[in-house]
Amino acid sequence: MRSLLLLIICTLSLFANELQYEHNLDKAIEKANKEHKEVMMMYSAVWCPECNYMKDIVFKDEKVLKYIQKHYVVLALDIQKDTLPKGFDYIGIPTFFFLDKDAKEKSKIIGGSKAELFLQKLKALK
Amino acid sequence: MKKIILLLAICSNILLAFNPNDLKKLKEDGDCPKCDLSYADLRGIDLTMSDLRDANLSHANLSHTLAHKANFSNADLSNATFINANIKGASFVYATLLNVNFTGARIWKGDFSHAKIDTCNFNESALGSAIFDGNNLTNSTFNGTILYKTIFRKNVIGIPK
Repeated sequence: MRSLLLLIICTLSLFANELQYEHNLDKAIEKANKEHKEVMMMYSAVWCPECNYMKDIVFKDEKVLKYIQKHYVVLALDIQKDTLPKGFDYIGIPTFFFLDKDAKEKSKIIGGSKAELFLQKLKALK
Repeated sequence: MKKIILLLAICSNILLAFNPNDLKKLKEDGDCPKCDLSYADLRGIDLTMSDLRDANLSHANLSHTLAHKANFSNADLSNATFINANIKGASFVYATLLNVNFTGARIWKGDFSHAKIDTCNFNESALGSAIFDGNNLTNSTFNGTILYKTIFRKNVIGIPK
């Protein structure tokens, strides 16, 4: 029993230290509305080094991670598997779209940047 | 005296100016290999996948330019400016990069193999997955540069920390 509890605690603490990604727009919107957050939709690709840098480095930065977890539900869409929802446009990846409650685009950030700068950009959107 | 100054000004302008036909060709075709584009103001021109091999782009202003996968191989880019340019996947193979300002430029997957690099400013730029091979980076600056998975081959001198 103790081992099971320990395993659950360890698993939960692991999840707390990294972003959880949704992969379905409707589910992401539903979750965001329920948690009084907004949806940050990331359009990226596994072969894109800039996208991987954002996932591997920037989103693991403590300040960025906490800020995103507090304000957003992250929807991750892959350029090779997913088409962008109607009404969204992009010129390159990664692109970060910020959605309102009705899944309409409020704003977007094109391209990645270092953690401090990305956090500044996020805060400027609020 | 005034005439001499005027004459000097005209002459220096002629000497420094790019070839207008070359600039026209670049704007119309999107490519201009071996062209003289020195001192050209190329800001705002879409140079995505442009062929600019062997071009003279010395002192050219390419700030804020979109030039994904542009080919600058063997081009002379001495004193050129790429401030905040988006030049992902661009090739600078064997290019002359003397005193080039790349501040804030996004150069993910750029290829700098065998480029003659000297006193370049790469501060705050993104060089993730870019390739350096056969370069001397000793006199160039890399303050705040993203060097995520940047490839430095064995024969690169002055690899930034």
